[in-house]
Amino acid sequence: MKTEMDFEELMDEAYGLPNGPAKLGMLEEAARVADVNGMEEEAYEARSEIVETATFCGYPMKALIAFSWQLGKFDQQPEEYDEETLMWSYKWILGKMPDFPEISREKILELLEDFGRRFKSYGYSERSYWYYRFRIFMDFGELEEAGRSYDRFRTMDRDFMSDCEACEQDEIMRYFLLKGDDEKVLEVAQPILKGRMSCAEIPHLTLSEILMPLYRLGRTAEADKHQTKGYRLIKGQNDFVQSFAEQMDYLTRTNPAKGIDVLEETLVFAADHEDPYAKMLFYARAASLLRRWVEESPEYRLRLPASFPYEGDPGDLLKLADYFAEHAQTAAAKFDQRNGNHHVSSLIE
Amino acid sequence: MTASNEYRFQVNLSGMIQILSNHLYSSPKVFLRELMQNATDAITARTEAEPGYQGEVRVELTGTGEQLTMMVEDNGIGLTEADIHEFLAMIGQSSKRGQQALLDGETSFIGRFGIGLLSCFMVSHEIVMLTQSAKGGPSMEWRGKPDGTYTIRQLDTQLSPGTKVYLRCTPDAAHYFEPDYVKEALFYYGALLPYPVTLYHDGAQHVVNSETPIWLMDPALARSRRAEVLAFGERLLGEQFQDFIPLTTASGRTGGIAFVLPHAVNLNAKRSHRVYLKRMLISEKAENILPEWAFFVKCLIWTDELQPTASREHFYENEKLEEVRSELGDALRKGLADMAESQTERLQKLIRLHALSMKALAVQDQAFYAMIHRWLPFESTRGHRELGELIDEGETLYFTSSVDEYRQIHHVASAQSMLVINGGYIYDSELMATLPMTVHNVHTERLQPDQVSMSFTDVPPAERNQYYDALRLADSALQRFRCRAEVKGFKPSDLPVLFTLSQESSTLRALEKASEESTELFSSVLGSLSSSMSSAGYSTLYLNVSNPIIQRVLTSPDDQMTPIAIEMLYVNALMMGHYAMSKQELEVLNQGIIRFINWGLRANTDRKGDA
Repeated sequence: MKTEMDFEELMDEAYGLPNGPAKLGMLEEAARVADVNGMEEEAYEARSEIVETATFCGYPMKALIAFSWQLGKFDQQPEEYDEETLMWSYKWILGKMPDFPEISREKILELLEDFGRRFKSYGYSERSYWYYRFRIFMDFGELEEAGRSYDRFRTMDRDFMSDCEACEQDEIMRYFLLKGDDEKVLEVAQPILKGRMSCAEIPHLTLSEILMPLYRLGRTAEADKHQTKGYRLIKGQNDFVQSFAEQMDYLTRTNPAKGIDVLEETLVFAADHEDPYAKMLFYARAASLLRRWVEESPEYRLRLPASFPYEGDPGDLLKLADYFAEHAQTAAAKFDQRNGNHHVSSLIE
Repeated sequence: MTASNEYRFQVNLSGMIQILSNHLYSSPKVFLRELMQNATDAITARTEAEPGYQGEVRVELTGTGEQLTMMVEDNGIGLTEADIHEFLAMIGQSSKRGQQALLDGETSFIGRFGIGLLSCFMVSHEIVMLTQSAKGGPSMEWRGKPDGTYTIRQLDTQLSPGTKVYLRCTPDAAHYFEPDYVKEALFYYGALLPYPVTLYHDGAQHVVNSETPIWLMDPALARSRRAEVLAFGERLLGEQFQDFIPLTTASGRTGGIAFVLPHAVNLNAKRSHRVYLKRMLISEKAENILPEWAFFVKCLIWTDELQPTASREHFYENEKLEEVRSELGDALRKGLADMAESQTERLQKLIRLHALSMKALAVQDQAFYAMIHRWLPFESTRGHRELGELIDEGETLYFTSSVDEYRQIHHVASAQSMLVINGGYIYDSELMATLPMTVHNVHTERLQPDQVSMSFTDVPPAERNQYYDALRLADSALQRFRCRAEVKGFKPSDLPVLFTLSQESSTLRALEKASEESTELFSSVLGSLSSSMSSAGYSTLYLNVSNPIIQRVLTSPDDQMTPIAIEMLYVNALMMGHYAMSKQELEVLNQGIIRFINWGLRANTDRKGDA
């Protein structure tokens, strides 16, 4: 039985895998081997990969832990490591911080300043700082402050450390979504929907985000097309738990049977997700969907993944809905407490 | 407001040609493909006008050295003078028609005459084309140079309808004009063409595509011609295959053969399927024509319904392609399903070779998983077994989620005769988690290392009471490591302690380790996260009462010795489990060793003193 592989073997194997928990497991094993054997550079390398993989497959906490370690090492010996890659990772980490309600508003703003200071010291454009400030204030539900940052970042030059245009556009779209301006949301989404802007995650995210605005505007035929295409793009990937939630939100209203398919296919990803915010949205939408589905098919027994920690009867959809709703409300309350407003709970009402 | 004036970009044609010929195409060798495509298009056009017309392509090599010349001739539709102006000059013009043809629209032609011809400038400084349109008119000669200039003149003699292109090779490109190379390349590009392609050289002639397989138009026929298909695959793809799955789409406009690769492949390996458009090779590395998961096959695909990109080496990612891709995927899946039904040995063989790919697919596709699950291999406390055999044991299938967890507990678990599957390998724990949803009457359960204790023997309360003092000492020694001690009896008895930790305590360990290394700001952020989980984050050190050493530690607690012994057993368990240790734990280990050496030496001297 082969239970011990050396660092190189593990890394090779990890590089050969698509992003996902399997790859992450390999990388963590590699980092552990490096740690146990006192191989510092290798440990740093493995953690770089962990940060990237974990960020994009639903493990932001693992990403944060690995990044914290890296940043400490980097500050001790900045000449040993490449600052560009690390600073690029910093953006991912910063972007995920508000998703953890345990991290205070004050700490997040301190991180933002630390980030801004580091970017400035390397001579990068200030656009990244203002753009992330924009995002963070949106997460806090402080739209006026977000708006001010939006005005600032738009006028600044992009550089090689800026997020790609497609990602920025998607965040701008989110801003108008939060402001409740559905018409504007669709206007901003146009370059993405027309395929003029795209990247590894866009239009994947966008196609789910515009479903509710389209629904509210009564344009369901269009929405249905985007739903089908959007779901195909994100199916089976645990990075898109929030998008699954958005899909369910829409399908609850238009096609709950299809919504149930989405729920059954994606619950396994949500249950194992480390991002409390995405998980909260998913659970909230799952609750509404189940309540809607009871009306259509009261006898239905929901298929739950083996690892799902629910002890009750999966055939009692209302109880199950309560279970989901309670989880979501508890999480929302934590966010509200941190943010000092009712922004997050208003999103799941 | 003044009337708007129309201006035209001043295009530097030689620059354009440079760019097109050097950057659009992946290699100079594609010139031959382009010429064959032009010929195919010309023949297609003529066949459309004259049904039943028999086309052919002749390639002739003459001369040596600087005079080495290649002639490619087709008996297709040919070009009139107007056609020449329209097609060949397209790059220089900004005619609406030109743009349209260049950028989009499904046409019945693969190449777009003018552009394809430009690739010839990668191997020749001059292109001479003689052509006679089947529609009549005079025969024409066109001579083009890489600087973008060209001449056109009427010939005095009348040629038979068709087109001949003459290329004189540049010194750099001589190897593309070698007869053996040309013969191979013609086969490579034109093996599936429905009319003869003949090479003339040194007075000899050779039809390069003499045997067109009959299963081409109906891949289902391939099943009954196994040997022939495998041989054809080997000749064209250069690998010895042992198995294949025929592919067709509903429309019948795309078909192919998926050859099962005879060796395991990396999941991220570049897919390189070979695709023929209208039976003419268009791409040898089409990546987007099959679904992502189809990495265990190399395919020959022929299609007449997809739109090639400008370089004609890939296809436009559009809805049509998506549809074709998913239909080809379904055909492949169906091939596997058929095997599962009636040729299990064949499927078993395939899975043994491509287990990882099959698992990756099974994770994504429940129906597929249900179909093939019995043959997927797993590592378990009963050895390396196929899942079907494990299921037949009729027990709960416990699985760990990492190799580490499995290593921690597999000795203990097998001593308790629990059936545990190592879920630490790629996809395995996901497959185990979803198995009950896929297959009926199978129960799987994620085994946390701390759950192994379920099968431990409890120590009766009276006996436990006896260990009270020792346990209190142990707990207080371990508290700073967020660990608690527990007394249980378990097999194997030579194992003194078992250290287990839940996922949460594992995350906590990682948090603390990172925190030790990080900046102040990040340490405090990690601190906020860990404070929310600390209640559940305790790990457990099980002390095995069946072990003689533990018995001694437990029965004669010593305020001084017991805590140190427990600490040492703790760090030893960490080492045995290959955990990365924190600074604090390393210190315990170092100090403990020195202390024990010291005690050993002192005991030794004391004894000597007694003597």
